[in-house]
Amino acid sequence: MSNQPTGAQLVISTLKALGVETLFGYPGGAIMPIYDALAGSGLKHILVRHEQGAAFAADAYARATGSVGVCMATSGPGATNLITGIANAYMDSVPVVCITGQVATHLMGTDGFQEVDILGICLPIVKHSWLVRDPADIPAILAEAFAIAAEGRPGPVLVDIPKDVAAAHVAVSSAASFPEWTPPAPDAGAIKAAEKLIEQAKHPLLYIGGGVEIGDASKEVRDLVARTGIPAVSTLKGIGTLPTTADLYLGMLGMHGTRAANIAVQDADLLIALGARFDDRATGKLNAFAPNAKIIHADIDPAEINKLRKADVAIVGDLKKTIAGLNPKMPAIQKWVEKCKADKWEHRFKYNAPGKGIYAPGLLKSLSEKAGDKFIAACDVGQHQMWVAQHCEFAHNRAHLTSGGSGAMGYGLPAGVGAKLAKPDHHVVTISGDGSFMMNIQEMATLNRYNIPLKIVLLDNSSLGLVRQWQELFYQENYSEIDLSDNPDFVEVAKAFGLSAFRITHRHEVEGALDKLLAAEGPTLLHVLIDPRENVWPLVPPGASNAEMMEERWDEPLDSY
Amino acid sequence: MSHLIHIELDRLEGSLLRILGLVERRGFNIDGAELYDLGEDKRGLSLTVRPRDLSRSLDILGLQIDRLYGIKRLASDPRGQAAPSPTEPKAKINA
Repeated sequence: MSNQPTGAQLVISTLKALGVETLFGYPGGAIMPIYDALAGSGLKHILVRHEQGAAFAADAYARATGSVGVCMATSGPGATNLITGIANAYMDSVPVVCITGQVATHLMGTDGFQEVDILGICLPIVKHSWLVRDPADIPAILAEAFAIAAEGRPGPVLVDIPKDVAAAHVAVSSAASFPEWTPPAPDAGAIKAAEKLIEQAKHPLLYIGGGVEIGDASKEVRDLVARTGIPAVSTLKGIGTLPTTADLYLGMLGMHGTRAANIAVQDADLLIALGARFDDRATGKLNAFAPNAKIIHADIDPAEINKLRKADVAIVGDLKKTIAGLNPKMPAIQKWVEKCKADKWEHRFKYNAPGKGIYAPGLLKSLSEKAGDKFIAACDVGQHQMWVAQHCEFAHNRAHLTSGGSGAMGYGLPAGVGAKLAKPDHHVVTISGDGSFMMNIQEMATLNRYNIPLKIVLLDNSSLGLVRQWQELFYQENYSEIDLSDNPDFVEVAKAFGLSAFRITHRHEVEGALDKLLAAEGPTLLHVLIDPRENVWPLVPPGASNAEMMEERWDEPLDSY
Repeated sequence: MSHLIHIELDRLEGSLLRILGLVERRGFNIDGAELYDLGEDKRGLSLTVRPRDLSRSLDILGLQIDRLYGIKRLASDPRGQAAPSPTEPKAKINA
């Protein structure tokens, strides 16, 4: 036996040298040399029950920590099962390195067993990718993969390693390093120009995107708000940058945003976009978005500037330095601020829904208040996702983990796995719906295997609620394939996986159930039955301006399930 | 209107597909393509592209190309040929 390390051993030693402690994956034929080297390595490998779970868990681990998440899968179906997770990380700019096994090089291109061109398949959804041909390149490629994943606007990177390359011995033993990347400093002239616009504005407004969290610029945003008094709205991914209870925070903008946030955007004469990308769910009808506003657009990614809305002043570079550098002499904006606050008060959410059924927005608000500053929500996708964004309180960023750009159902449970492992001292709660939960329900086995004390709130309306809502409102109540009333008994399913589980059906049970859930020691599921007719309000209809919001109508009790 | 873009590619697996896919995915037709050797593990690629609709900006496409690793936009034809004006009709472009 050679004393030289194999390519697989170089994979493991390089991961350790790069600071990896936890990774998520699922073994198989082509990646067996790497799993052989993994055994006894000291790396904490979490064996998920589906590769999509590995990608989502690595994504959430990265979001919660700010470091690079790592997942592994074998060739063919193992690799393709990662794809939804890779696309999710790409859309939300999450640093994830995905390592896939590939069939041996002599079989590549022959339609070998479990062969798929994962490099080719993933080209549009990765920041970069490699197919490793020489095991000696492994340390340098992995080091560069980590650097690329994390630098600038982060994203997923794929490293595909053929089985023979992983198995080959090679005369390389030390991990390569990659030079640390420094974000470019913003242009001083652009900052001056931005200050001038702020000084001329009567109705300035901050538009906070997910780039602030990624750029670790939350403190700078809070300081900017404190020194200027400019009110703020956020995107889905910007939630938590300002405490959601902050006086000048008007809430999320866009399709399911608050009325106060959308009114402020439409009335603003200056929109200061920080790490935001003018996504269609935020802007609604683009040419009617912030119609009276000049735009200051600050972002690390120059390709976002002028992509959808022309910027009057563009600032490309480090958001921390950009925001810290903004020190305008503030004009008198008190009347504007008072109007924003008055709108916020007038259009605040109300929780006195009629009936005795469980009102999900109220439950979620109460959950976040009980969990306090250490609350981390790992959301799935659907109505519950919007209710979390609207009603939960978040004290800081990296606490609201949600599949934003991709909108991938099935994210919540594996994301909860990743987040709880990343932040074991936090109240990590997966909030899911019955449609989403079924998409990665197998990951309850992962919770049980490692006794990960994740808490799950499953809001069950026996339907695909958001699709049902749109069919009700925009497709003349032509309900098509949204009925999930034949769901399994989720409490019994959870118990079969080894979790504690219990169910509530009436509003008076909510407070006690939440206390019981948060106090539970092991992984626990709270199954919550809600009215299938419940909708998410307010709502900007598709293709409409954010000024055209539909509001809730409480004209009949919502307790007849 | 057609535009000519000159690109330098590292000789890496997937780099050609990466750039062609990006151009099409971001809303441009590829009307012509010429691949040539630039030595030292580099290849040159000259693409004639045309936006599918008026909302597509060549400037934004250029910035999206700049985000790719191992791929670099060039200001002019690296073979030393005179670059046609971006407004020149496609028929006059050597693609």
